[in-house]
Amino acid sequence: MKKLLTHICLFLIPIFVVWTLAEVFYRTVPNNYTFKHEQISNFNDDAEVLILGDSHTFYGINPEWLSLNAYNLSNVSQTIYFDKLLIEKHINHLPKLKHLILSVEYTTLSQADNTQEDIWRKYFYSAQMDLEVPLISWYNPKKYSLALARKLNKTWHTYKDFKKEGTLIGCDVKGWGNTYLSTLDTSEMEYLAKVVAKKHEDSSMDFRLNTERIQSIIDLCKERDIEVLLVNMPVSQNYLNYLNPEKLQKIQATCEAIIKNNPNVRGLNFLRNSYFKLNDFQDADHLNAQGAKKCTLLIDEFLR
Amino acid sequence: MLFNTIDFAIFMPIVFLLYWFVFKKNIKVQNLFLLFVSYFFYACWDWRFLGLIFLSSLVDYLVGLSLAKTEQKLKRKVLLVMSLVANLGVLGFFKYYNFFLESFQDVFLLFGRSLESSSLNILLPVGISFYTFQTLSYTIDVYRKRMEPTNNILSFFAFVSFFPQLVAGPIERASNLLPQFERKRLFDYAKSIDGLRLILLGLFKKMVIADNCAIAVNEIFTHHAEYNGSTLFFGAFFFAFQIYGDFSGYSDIAIGSARLLGFDLMQNFNSPYLSRNLGEFWRRWHISLSTWFRDYVYIPLGGNQVSKAKWIRNIFVVFLLSGFWHGANWTFIIWGFIHALFFLPLIFQKPHKNNKDIADKGKLLPSVKTIFQIGSTFLIVLVAWVFFRADNVSHAFMYLGSMFSKSLFSFPTVSRGLVLFLIVYMVFEWLQRDKKHILEIDFIKSKPLRIGVYYCLVFIIFYFAGDTQPFIYFQF
Repeated sequence: MKKLLTHICLFLIPIFVVWTLAEVFYRTVPNNYTFKHEQISNFNDDAEVLILGDSHTFYGINPEWLSLNAYNLSNVSQTIYFDKLLIEKHINHLPKLKHLILSVEYTTLSQADNTQEDIWRKYFYSAQMDLEVPLISWYNPKKYSLALARKLNKTWHTYKDFKKEGTLIGCDVKGWGNTYLSTLDTSEMEYLAKVVAKKHEDSSMDFRLNTERIQSIIDLCKERDIEVLLVNMPVSQNYLNYLNPEKLQKIQATCEAIIKNNPNVRGLNFLRNSYFKLNDFQDADHLNAQGAKKCTLLIDEFLR
Repeated sequence: MLFNTIDFAIFMPIVFLLYWFVFKKNIKVQNLFLLFVSYFFYACWDWRFLGLIFLSSLVDYLVGLSLAKTEQKLKRKVLLVMSLVANLGVLGFFKYYNFFLESFQDVFLLFGRSLESSSLNILLPVGISFYTFQTLSYTIDVYRKRMEPTNNILSFFAFVSFFPQLVAGPIERASNLLPQFERKRLFDYAKSIDGLRLILLGLFKKMVIADNCAIAVNEIFTHHAEYNGSTLFFGAFFFAFQIYGDFSGYSDIAIGSARLLGFDLMQNFNSPYLSRNLGEFWRRWHISLSTWFRDYVYIPLGGNQVSKAKWIRNIFVVFLLSGFWHGANWTFIIWGFIHALFFLPLIFQKPHKNNKDIADKGKLLPSVKTIFQIGSTFLIVLVAWVFFRADNVSHAFMYLGSMFSKSLFSFPTVSRGLVLFLIVYMVFEWLQRDKKHILEIDFIKSKPLRIGVYYCLVFIIFYFAGDTQPFIYFQF
C-alpha cells in the first residue's frame, strides 16, 4: 500500500506543479474581470450611465463618446444572469446613476444557464468580480481553483496571448473593448456570418426565465429612479440573413412588451439600421472602433 | 457525480483511503462503508430515487431468502414472478410507460379513433436498467439453484448498489460479484496499478475520443440536411467512436475503480470494432448485457439447440429485446432488428464461424481477408448506429437516404485530424488485440518509458479533452 501511495504521489508531482503554475498565472495576471472590478469602484461615485451586456456592447459602446459619465461593465459572453448579479451588487454604490444600458441580442433571451460559454466564466465572475454566483455550489472545487475551471489548452492559449500582447486586459479604463480596430474582407465576413449565426442558434424560443431577469433588473432600477435603455446592437446584414426571422420577431415583440409595461424603460433598435456600413464592423456581428463611435454617439443623442 | 469530474477525483481517493486504512479490519464495516458511499454517489445524481434501489434490493433479498426455504415448484415460481413483476414493473413504468401509451395512441389513430389519455412527465432514474438486470440475475440464479441465496443483507445491498458500476454497468452476475462482498478483500499492488491504468484509459476514451467526436456528431446529426453523403458517413463514423469511447471508457473507469477496492468486475468491451462478424462483435461489445441476454433469454428459449426456425426466432427475440432495453423508442428496436438481420447469415454458414480466436495472431499487419471482414462488419454496425443516434425513425431514414446518395463520393467537410486520430487509435487497438486492454504495456521493460506513456496520456487528456458531455448510457 505504501509503495502504491508513494508512486501515485510521485506521479502526481509534475501535474501538481503545472496546476500550481496555472493557478498562479490566473491569480496574478490582471484580465478583463479583475480590471473591470477594480475600475468600477473608481467610477462608483460619478457614474451616470452604466452599460451591461455581452461582447456586442463590450466592443460596441464606448463611454468616451457619451456626454454623461459612463462605465461599460459588459463583457464577452456575459449573459443576463450575470448582468443581473452585477447590477444587484453595484447599484447601491452608484448614487448618481441615471441610465442603465442593457443589450438584448439574438441569444440574450433564450440563453440557458451553464452553457459551454459560461461554464467556466462563472468561476471568474465569482473569484475575480466578487460575485455571489448561485450556480456554483460551495463544495465545487472549481470555486477555489481557476486553473481547474479552464481546460489546459485554453490556459496555454491564454498564456500565449499574454506573452504576445503583454496583457490580458482587452479594454480601456472605462471598460470599452478597445481591441477591435479593423474590418474583415467581404468573403470572410460572409463565411463568418454563417458560422456565427449557426453558433448563436440555440433553437429555443423560451424567453421566460431571461425576461423575468430583465424585469427584475428594471424593477430594481425603478426603485431608484433609473431609466433602462434596451438596445438591440447593430449587426451585419450577412449575419442577420442567417438568423431565424420568427425568433427575431419574437425578440422584438418581447422588447416592445417590456417597454410598454414599464414607464422607466425605453428602447433603441439598431438591428436593421442602414446607418452602419460594412466597414463599421470588425466581424459579422461586432462593431469595430469606428462603428462603436457611431453607435455611441447615436445613443448619446437619444439619452439627451 | 460523473467519473470525469473533479468531484470524482476527490471522492475516489477519500473512499480508497478510508476503505483500506480505516475500515480494513472488519469486512462488515467495510461493506457498510461501501453501501454508504454507493448511496451517497447515487444521491449526487438524484437522492429521490434512492428508494427505488432500496426497494429493488429488499424485494430480491427477501425473495432469495424465501426461495431458499421452499422446494415447492409452484411457490418458487410465484416468488420468481413476484421479483420479476416488482423489478420489471418499476423499470416498465419509469422507462416505457409513455412509449406504450403513445404507441397505443398511434394505433388507435390509425383506426380513426383517438385514445384519451395524457402522457406523464416521468424522470428516468439513472442506471435503473443496469441495477434492475443485476439484481434480477441474482433471483433467477437462486431460482435455478445455480447459486445459494445470501442471508447477509449488508453484502446484498452493497452488491446491488456498488457505486463503480451502479449507473452504467458492467451488469454483474450475482455469482461473480456477490461472493466478493462476502470474503475479505486483500490489497494487491499489481491489481491496483492495473486499476489505475484502466481509469486513465477510461478517461482518455471518454474525454478525448468520445467528447471530441460528440461535437462533430451533434453538429452533423442536427443539421444533416446541410451536409453531403460523405460528411454524413463520417458523422455516423464519429458516432460509432463516440459511443464506444463513452461507454467503454465508463466501463474501464468502473472496472478500474472496483479493482482499487479489491473487486474484479467482468470485462465489458474487447476491441469490438476489430470484430470479423456480428457474432464476434456481440462477444466484444457490452459483453455484460449480451451475456445477460444469452444466459437469461436466449438459452432458456433453446438457444441454437433447436430447429433453424426457432433459432432464428430466438435471435430476433434477443436482439429486439436488447434494442428495447436501450430505450423506449422505435429507433432502438430497429437498431436491434438490423443486428438480428445481419446476424442471420452466420446461422447458415457451414461450418459455423465463431471467430473466437485472435485475428491474425502473431502477425503485425492484418491480412486482406481480415481487413475485408472487419471493414464489412464495421459498416453494418455503423449503419445501425444511425438508428441508435437519430431522434426518431424518419430522422434516421432521411439521414441514411442522404448518406447513400451520389454525394457519398464527394469530399467530406469534417476534421481530418479527428479522423486520423481515430485511425491511429485503432492501430494501437490492433497491436494490443491480444491484451485485455490497450494500456496493458508490461511488455515495455523500461519503467521510465512506461511512465512516459502514462504522462503522454495524461497530457492528451488535459490538453485535448473536448467539451464535457454527459455519458450516453446514463439515459438507459
